Amino acid sequence: MAQRWQPDFEQLADEHQSMVFSLAWRMTGDRGLAEEVAQDVFLELDRHMERIESPEHALNWLRRVAVSRSADALRRRRVRGVDLWVEIEEKHGVPTEERQSPLETRLEQLLSTLPEAQRAALVLRYQEDLTPEEIAATVDAPLATVKSNLHRGLKLLRAKATTHLKEYVRGL
Amino acid sequence: MDFEWPDQPQKSDEFERELKQAMERRPAPPSLKGRIMQQRSRRRSERHHTSIMWWQRLAASLLVGAVVAGGFGWRQMEERRRGEEAKQQVLTALRITNQVLNNMNRKLAEHDRSDNGK
Repeated sequence: MAQRWQPDFEQLADEHQSMVFSLAWRMTGDRGLAEEVAQDVFLELDRHMERIESPEHALNWLRRVAVSRSADALRRRRVRGVDLWVEIEEKHGVPTEERQSPLETRLEQLLSTLPEAQRAALVLRYQEDLTPEEIAATVDAPLATVKSNLHRGLKLLRAKATTHLKEYVRGL
Repeated sequence: MDFEWPDQPQKSDEFERELKQAMERRPAPPSLKGRIMQQRSRRRSERHHTSIMWWQRLAASLLVGAVVAGGFGWRQMEERRRGEEAKQQVLTALRITNQVLNNMNRKLAEHDRSDNGK
């Protein structure tokens, strides 16, 4: 009989911290909040370690929980009455060493203005390179809904990009 | 894998490429893992303390329960013992009364016999 995979928390944190952090940042649009979400996600992983069966299971679990906790964090913020998008406008305007180009910055900024479900679908599709089927499994939604969110999200983002990114790109 | 974009496939591909490039994973802050490990160990130690406290509370509750149950049991036994004692006293009293009545009865009978003899 094959030996059961033994997860190593520190190794999992090391391997997946940038994935969880990036997902949380793109979902919430707030670096500080993303760090909090990433910490919560890993602490929750620690509580569920005995249920993690394989490295793939750990990766999928982390993706799912990161998306879900980010959405929860956004909802909590909305309940508290923080105008998140004003904050995002301010924070994304500040260049950081992690930024690659102004175009990418603006694209991310526009992404953060999309509805939550569309944003989640696009982040999982383009950051994590997941197929619509994998996204559906991750966010626990019907495949048709995910395809629709991807389609609408991409269309909306493209429309916004056409309007706002003329200064960076021609022919988008 | 590629998402359908029926109206403008070439422009869409270009846009998706840009999007994919813009959405590369960002490196996590260098301190993130350290903070995670620190919080993890803090939570574990909190959980450990909570668990110890829980056991202490359970032990204290069991002790109090045992004392209350013991007190209640002792009180019941004491009441039963006193009841038995009272019962024995009543029986003794009844025996004495019976004996006294028998004696009186016997004396009365003797008295009657002596009266009849006269």
